[in-house]
Parts: sequence; C-alpha cells; structure tokens
Amino acid sequence: MNQAPLLQVNHLRYAYEEREAVRDLSFSVYPGETLGFLGPNGAGKTTTLSCVCGLLRKWQGSMQFRGQEFAPGKSSKQRALLGVVPQELALYGDLTAQENLQFFGRLAGLRGDKLRQAVSRGLDLAGLSSRARDRVSTFSGGMKRRLNIAAGDLHSPELLLLDEPTAGVDPQSRNHIFETLMELKEEGRTLIYTTHYMEEAERLCNRILIVHEGALAASGSAQELAQSLDLPDANLEQVFLQLTGRSLRD
Amino acid sequence: MDTFRAAWLIACRDLRSYFRDRTGMLLGFALPIALVGVFGFLSTFLYGEGGAMGRASLWVADEDQSESSARFLQLLADAETVSLHPAVGEDAVTESELRQKIIDGEIHHGLVLTAGFGQTMEQGGLPTLRMLRDPGRTMEDMMIQIGIMQAYFGVTEGNAWPAMMGRQMRQLGMDDDMAKQVESFSESTLQLMRTVFPKSEEEPEAKNEELAGFDMQNFFTQMVPMEEEDFSPPDRPKMVTWMQAQSISGITVMMLMFGLLACGVSLIREREEGTMQRLLASPAPRSAILWGKFMFTAIVGFIQLTVLLTFGETVFHVDTFRDPATLLALMVCTTLAITSFGMLIASWAQTQKQAEGVSTLLILMMSCLGGAWFPLQAFDVPVYVHYAMRSTLTHWAISGFQGMFWHQQSWLHPAMLLDLSVLLGFSVLAACGSLLLFRRRLDA
Ligand SMILES: Nc1ncnc2c1ncn2[C@@H]1O[C@H](COP(=O)(O)OP(=O)(O)O)[C@@H](O)[C@H]1O
Ligand SMILES: [Mg+2]
Repeated sequence: MNQAPLLQVNHLRYAYEEREAVRDLSFSVYPGETLGFLGPNGAGKTTTLSCVCGLLRKWQGSMQFRGQEFAPGKSSKQRALLGVVPQELALYGDLTAQENLQFFGRLAGLRGDKLRQAVSRGLDLAGLSSRARDRVSTFSGGMKRRLNIAAGDLHSPELLLLDEPTAGVDPQSRNHIFETLMELKEEGRTLIYTTHYMEEAERLCNRILIVHEGALAASGSAQELAQSLDLPDANLEQVFLQLTGRSLRD
Repeated sequence: MDTFRAAWLIACRDLRSYFRDRTGMLLGFALPIALVGVFGFLSTFLYGEGGAMGRASLWVADEDQSESSARFLQLLADAETVSLHPAVGEDAVTESELRQKIIDGEIHHGLVLTAGFGQTMEQGGLPTLRMLRDPGRTMEDMMIQIGIMQAYFGVTEGNAWPAMMGRQMRQLGMDDDMAKQVESFSESTLQLMRTVFPKSEEEPEAKNEELAGFDMQNFFTQMVPMEEEDFSPPDRPKMVTWMQAQSISGITVMMLMFGLLACGVSLIREREEGTMQRLLASPAPRSAILWGKFMFTAIVGFIQLTVLLTFGETVFHVDTFRDPATLLALMVCTTLAITSFGMLIASWAQTQKQAEGVSTLLILMMSCLGGAWFPLQAFDVPVYVHYAMRSTLTHWAISGFQGMFWHQQSWLHPAMLLDLSVLLGFSVLAACGSLLLFRRRLDA
C-alpha cells in the first residue's frame, strides 16, 4: 500500500492480571480497506479491539490514528472516530429498535435531521424498518445481531470495529449481515472485522491477520497466505489450521 | 459532548425504560404506599390519639359473680388504661380458659376474681386478686395495674384506702404496730374528709362517676404541687400523633431507599447486559454514565417521595404542605442522600445480586437504627448505640421529617439545618466515593 495507514498499532501488549492476552502485536489498517482478524478462541481478538476502542486502557505499545497519538480511553474526541460492534449483544431489550438507535445516535453526538437520517438508514441496514417500533426483547437472535451492527455504525465512523458480528445466527441473517458489510465496503468505509468463518473472510477482506496466542502468526491476502505456506491450492481454513494448530482451544 | 447533556441522555433512556415497565413501576409505587398506610394506621393504636398512651387489653374471669365483682369490673372497664375482655355480651371465660389463652399467646394478662371476692369486701377486707400473665409483656403490666388500682379504690368507695395503705407499709418493711398506726391515721383522715365533704345523698351517681374518673396516672403527681402546661406548635394538626408522624417519616424514608435501590442497580445491569461497552465506547464523557444514573435515580426518588408524602397527607392529614420551602429542602436533601447511597453501592458491587444483598441488609439496619420501625431516639440507649444511630442517614432524614411534621420546624431552625446539612454532607461524600470506585473499575 502506498497510502498512509488510518490506524497503526505498534507492539501492543495487554495482560489481564497474570494472563497475557496480547503479546507484541503490530498491524496497520489503511483507509477503505477491510481488515480480517482471524484467530481461534482466546487468541486475543476481542482484547485487541477493546484496546483499540479504549474499553481497556492499561495496554502497552503505541497507536496512531492518521499519524496522531491515539488513546481513545482517555479522549472522547478520539472515541468519536470509531464505531464499535461488541461481540456480546449490547442493546436495551425494553426499548424498541428505533429507540435504541435514537439513543446511541444521540450519544454519538447526532441531533435533528442528521439523527433522523442515521436512524432510518440504520433500520434499513439492519433490515428492520418494518419492526422499528417493536421492542428488541421480542426479536430473534439474528435480528438483534443486525441491529447490534447498525447501532455501532450510526455516526458513520472513520473506522468500524466489528467483533464476530455473525456469531450464532442463522444462514439468512448471516447472509444479510455479510451483504451489509459488503455494502459498507463498497461505500469505501474502513472496517476491522473478526470472525471464525473462513469463507466470509476470504470473500470480504482485502487483508487478513491471523492471530495466535496473542501474537501475529501471518498476514496478507488469502492468496498470499496460502502461497507463503507453500499450499497454493489450499483454502483459508486449511491455512488457518496449519498456522494455529489443530488442538481444541476452550 | 458535554457531561451534562450526555448524563441527561442516559437519564432519559433509563426513565423511558422505568416508566415502560408498568407493572414494575406500579409495584414500586404501590408497595411503599401500602406500607406507609399500614404503619401510619397501626401507629394510631400504638400510642393512641393525641400522643396519649393506648389501652392494654385485660381478660377477666369472674368466679365470684357477686354485686361487688360486677361493680369492680364496671369500674375496671371505665379505667382509661385498660380495655376489658370479654366485653359486655360476649361469653364469659373461666380461669382455666384464661391459662390456656395465655399459653397459646392469644392474650397476655388474665385477671381472676376468685369466689369470695364480694364477701371479703363487704366485711371490709382486701380480697386478693389473681393475675395470670405472660412475663414478656411488662409494658402492658404497668397500665393494667393502674387500671386495677383505680377500680379497687373505686369499688370500696374509698373505704379500702386505710387497709391499702397499711398493706403497702407492711410490704415496705414497716412493723405491724407502725402499720396499724398508719391505718388508723388514714382511717381518721378519711373520716375527716367525709365530714368536711359529706357524701351527697341526692347525687349518688355523680359520686360514682367521680370515682370512676379517678385518675391514677395523675394521683401521685398531684400530691406534689405542680402546674402543668402543654406546649405544641400552634399549627400542629390535631389529628396527628407523635408516633404517627414518626411512622410516616420512617417508612417513607425506608421505602424510598428500597425504591431507589432498584434504580441504582441499573448501573450494574448496564454492565451485565453489555450496553456499558457501548456507553464507554461512545464519545460521551465517562463520568456522564454515573451522573446519568444519578439524575435518573434522583428524579424517580423525587417523584416517589412526592407520591408517598401526598398519600400521607391525604390519609393521615399530617399537614405536609404547610411549609413548602422546608418540605422542598427536606425532599431534595433526602433524595440526594439516598441516591448517592444507592450509587455508592452500585459502583462498589460486581453483580446485581451483591448490590441487592448488601443494600437490603444496610437499609434494614439503617431503618432500624434510624428509628423507622420504632422510635429508638425516644429511649435511653447506651452511648455506642447513640453514635450508631447518628451515623445512619435514615436517622437524619427521619429526624428532619419528624421535625417538620411534629415540631413544625422551618428549614431555618437550627435542628432542621443540622439535619439538612448532614444529609447534604452525606450526599457529597457518597457521590465522591462512588465516582472514585467507578473510575477505578474503568481503569482496566
Ligand atoms: N476479562 C478477562 N479477564 C481475564 N482474562 C480474560 C478476560 N477476557 C479475556 N481473557 C483471556 O484473554 C485471552 C484472550 O481473550 P479474547 O481476547 O476474548 O480472545 P478472542 O476474542 O480471540 O476469543 C483468553 O485467554 C481469555 O481467557
Ligand atoms: Mg472474542
């Protein structure tokens, strides 16, 4: 890439008390790209995203956003640059879909017409325009997942962090989410995206990072990864297993 | 985004959820109202109207069935400290039934007029009464004795006075000769009084009434020359009793604490349901999360307090709205103190269960010590209990409301100012504490 990176992460380390979850991880995200973050359970994907979005503050290393020192845990202006789609659903069950989006939109600083447009776009994105006035507690898992994504993208952040946005949903919803992400990508948005689903990553991501036990195991496009391992015909899943081993994780 | 706007957004979100759960909300209002109602109502009986003592219930088995025993019972029924059972028209009970009732816990005092009561009395003797009692009920014991003394004195038309005095002196250790002298002296004074104030033949009923109205409570105090004056603030409503004002204040404060606990816990629910991640990742200043919960809790608290006090006013006429400035100051300080207390618990606890467990314990303890259940302040307690009481925020809130209801203090009254400033001080301390705890938890 000849562009300057949007976000650059250098030698990131994070430890929960004794356990080192991220050890010396460095990577960059370039504007307009979709970066796939792959790794078995417990590899440190969620931890890395939490450091990037400021939920965790006691990390070591450095981050730059457009070349500027970046510590969103301490600066609300910097948090406004990011959108977060947490791995766990983060919605208010007793509010309607619309009310959820309105609240998170306002919290992200939107008002008036901008807010109205963002909410209706969000409902559209989630495929929930017809259920806008229903309470989220009455939604299926897939509907909640879709709304969860829309809630993170309301203010069209410069960088959208998605932590396993397709976990545990039926093929229809997965497909919808997949298409949503494709749409965002085509709009030229920058995404970091973690998943277990190899073919999704293969199709969606410009570049893939494979993380293993908190450190980078390999990076590149799906094709480059396969070639680097001398497995030119292998699919991403085979590459993944080759790099991270076959033993169980949890 | 500024902290206030962000906090306001969060508070509005919580209010929306709060008022959406209709059943939960109604319960949140109905239960406190029910409790204030029950306690306010019951406290009427506990200390009686106008702050006087209530009556202790006394059961009687009349095994003598004479004219004298009937008259004795009539006088006993008229005594102000006793309510006599069985009432007229109800089935009479026997001594063995009384014993069983006491064992069963149905009654606590049973008086037996043994056969020969009337005969002994006619012969000028002092018939012995048999009292069966539950040893735990010492409070009622005093009131019943006062009633019996009155009736005993009355039934002999004062004739038993010398014998009663003699008996008392012997009990106190006086030897028989001396006691006999006291008896005869009493006899002479009685005769003298009868001569000076001859018994009116025309109005025997009036005499009886006078005797029935004989007030043992005041008997001894009247021996000492003393002028008594009652002091009450001029505006104090006639219907309110001290105990009632205490109950309404206490239960209102206690229920407010329980009501606000549910709101404070919404901070923890936010964490447990994952939405805290979004709040933290949003551009809103992080302290706005805590202040948002604070606003929400305080708003609900203020509404609940208004509803509870309006209820107290409607049903018990405690004249809540007499002094709006004081009322407002008290409501604001109480709500703030209880809200900060809730926030402190919510930012300390890891889980909702922890928060609810700890605060239920604390609320009950503070309510008890602060006088929400019974007027602990009215008793002479050891000094460490005294300090324990004063360390509870309930004590100061209840003392404030009691000061407003009963003593009719305005917010400028030193005692009321003390209550208000302690409550405010508590709010500030607890709010700072919760902010520290909240920050520390974020520093992961
Ligand atoms: N809150 C936590 N406290 C302690 N250890 C944690 C916590 N969250 C995650 N971990 C540990 O950190 C490691 C990385 O976890 P995580 O980032 O969630 O992995 P991933 O998202 O890739 O599945 C795991 O070993 C996990 O057990
Ligand atoms: Mg994860």
